[in-house]
Amino acid sequence: MTANLVMVFFVAGALFAAGVLAVAWRRDVSSALAGIPLILAGAGVAFVGVARFAGAGAPHLFGQEVAVLLAVAATALLALGLGVAGREGTR
Amino acid sequence: MDSLHAIGFYVSSGVSVIGGLGVALLGGRTMRGLLLAICGLGLAGIYISLGAGFAAVVALACYIGCALLIAGPRYRSIETLTGTMWRQIGAIGAGAVLLVLGFAAYRGNFVTAKASGDGFGIADVGRLLFAHDALATDAVAALVLVSLIGAAAIWRVKERGR
Repeated sequence: MTANLVMVFFVAGALFAAGVLAVAWRRDVSSALAGIPLILAGAGVAFVGVARFAGAGAPHLFGQEVAVLLAVAATALLALGLGVAGREGTR
Repeated sequence: MDSLHAIGFYVSSGVSVIGGLGVALLGGRTMRGLLLAICGLGLAGIYISLGAGFAAVVALACYIGCALLIAGPRYRSIETLTGTMWRQIGAIGAGAVLLVLGFAAYRGNFVTAKASGDGFGIADVGRLLFAHDALATDAVAALVLVSLIGAAAIWRVKERGR
């Protein structure tokens, strides 16, 4: 049993599409914001996969670096979005 | 990639995609937070099986934080102005995106690509983050700072007006 770059792209595409589905389907803004980490997770998996399976000479740690930045950015964006949405009963 | 890593990759992928679909489709903020944490766990497993251990640790911490944010305090419900028809079109578009990405992955000439590199690589990733791509790291750090200060300031203003 083995996994190749196509499988990595399938998983990345599935995560990205699940995130887009969450953003498009949810009526409530604070619920729709939960799709942002999923979208960025799909992008991170694609970056790590490409770096892992890239041809000779490519820096394989670059994908890991971008994945770290995307995960941190996802958390920050979610915190900011939920902060703007505000807690119930504060208005 | 050997069999053990491949099995880990497929299991983690299943966990992650099921968690992601649950976040998109199931209701209840506690359930959504739990499923996002499960999705983060699967994502960390994917990263580990692809030889990105440091990214796995960071992703796990960040997605558990996201899950706590979503499942935490009760947020005010802000309804979007988008109608049901447009939301359904958006959902169909998400399915189309999945199909297009899957087709592109299948048709792309990636099958012959070989796995290279392995290990945790904290020192090398740190060197990349703080020396080679310091500008991108600074941009994300600024985003985190603005997000935390902005969220705290907005909440304080709203608490004062209560």
